[in-house]
Amino acid sequence: MPSTSTSELLLEVTDLNLVLNTDVYRPLNWRDLFTALAKDPFGTLFHEADRLHIARNISFSVKRGDRIGIIGVNGSGKTTLCRCIAGMYVPTSGTIVRKGKMRAVFDTAIGIQPELTGRENATLLAEFMYADQKNKLKIINDALQFSELGSFIDVPFRLYSKGMQARLCLSLVSARPCDLLILDEVFDGADVFFSEKISARVLDVIHRSGAVLFVSHSFDQIKKVCNRVLVLSGGQIIFDGEVEKGIAVYKKSGSQSAN
Amino acid sequence: MNKWLIFSQQIRTLTIANLKSRYRKTIAGFVWVVFNPLMMYGVQSLVFKTFLKLQVPNYALFLLSGLLPWIFISQALEMCTSLLVTSGPLLKSYPVHPLVYLFAQLVDNAINFLAAFILLLVPVWYFQPGQSLPLLLLPIPLVLLLVSVLGLAWLLATLQVFFRDTRFLVTFAISICFFITPIFYPTAFVPEKFRWMTMINPFHRLIDPFRVVIYNFSFEAFVNSCFAAAIVATASISIAYLFWRKKRNAVYLNI
Repeated sequence: MPSTSTSELLLEVTDLNLVLNTDVYRPLNWRDLFTALAKDPFGTLFHEADRLHIARNISFSVKRGDRIGIIGVNGSGKTTLCRCIAGMYVPTSGTIVRKGKMRAVFDTAIGIQPELTGRENATLLAEFMYADQKNKLKIINDALQFSELGSFIDVPFRLYSKGMQARLCLSLVSARPCDLLILDEVFDGADVFFSEKISARVLDVIHRSGAVLFVSHSFDQIKKVCNRVLVLSGGQIIFDGEVEKGIAVYKKSGSQSAN
Repeated sequence: MNKWLIFSQQIRTLTIANLKSRYRKTIAGFVWVVFNPLMMYGVQSLVFKTFLKLQVPNYALFLLSGLLPWIFISQALEMCTSLLVTSGPLLKSYPVHPLVYLFAQLVDNAINFLAAFILLLVPVWYFQPGQSLPLLLLPIPLVLLLVSVLGLAWLLATLQVFFRDTRFLVTFAISICFFITPIFYPTAFVPEKFRWMTMINPFHRLIDPFRVVIYNFSFEAFVNSCFAAAIVATASISIAYLFWRKKRNAVYLNI
């Protein structure tokens, strides 16, 4: 099992900063605007845009064999960082250099067309996840067979329970390895992790993939999957290294912010 | 695999899925989509030609060349405006370019448009034939129309993320534009004083090449109208692209 790091770089993030404008949340209807103008005419007209500094000077590199857990309290920028790496957010400054094929999943209980059946949604999901693979039909059939949804495969996706939706999605995600796999809280909120079979398959694809970024709130999962953790706090990396130490740092920072 | 190939494959798969999902559980399915333009066309040609007695030669062909592109524009814009908002959860779950969703919706509409268009053109042509050779030029106005509507739909869908009023404004603007755009009447009917309104109307610019090709072809008019439509297409797609580039992060934050 290639669990030790080699020297091949798969991802390099340098001085990444992401600042988002949250100005759009200001009062927009006429009445609110009028009251705001009456109270503070200058402030309303010439205000500085509200900004959220989500990622601050983030630098790290990922080598083949790295299984990186990303932990941090809610709102510390874990998901946004992953979305940046996946190419959804464009960084305000800094660079992200990615090598090889990437696959990212941020929600497992989602159907593309709820009206369509599980099989049809699987076809669509496969098109989104495995766009560059040749033999998609085989991937889909394997995943459907593995998901053990039985006769539910040809039932509209909107009738699925959350667990069933996750089962279908996870079966697809875990069908083929890739160079960089980003999994954001994929086991959270669904009953899937209790089903040993699917978690074994996801763990297997994690081990066969080049590198993994794994966002989770569960220390058990992090310990099971990862060989390195990043601890985020307020958009900064406050720890990068061994799993046990990282969890300790996170617990300490969490109890500090709670006080 | 090539980036563009992946892009077009995703659009194709999503378009097919959209079509399937829309017609599932309907009895007549696709018929409804084509039925709407056919009925609109039938009623309008009856009212304008027989009731109001508009003095336009070969009115059946004239109306067809203006009304069908217009129905495509209005339906595509209405369907695309809320698209980024409604596919928000999906956009945030998988790194797929939002344009894939917009394209799929547009192709879907274009298929309906072409189906209705051909269904009407064949019988109308049979009874009131025009010049048939220029019809070979139809792909040019069609591409210009698609590009312009894509740009406009992209812009409106992005705006809708920030101002949820956009959708209502679009519906409102479309019903107004139906009357101020020379669709069921020729440009010549517009008094000199109001001619500028037609001149700056981008929808007129997009529909005009269709009218030239189908109804009153002359090479000079064709080149001129296509040139104007090309300006509209370029402007629309570049404004949409620039706005998207500026607002991309904010879109992801707000959907």
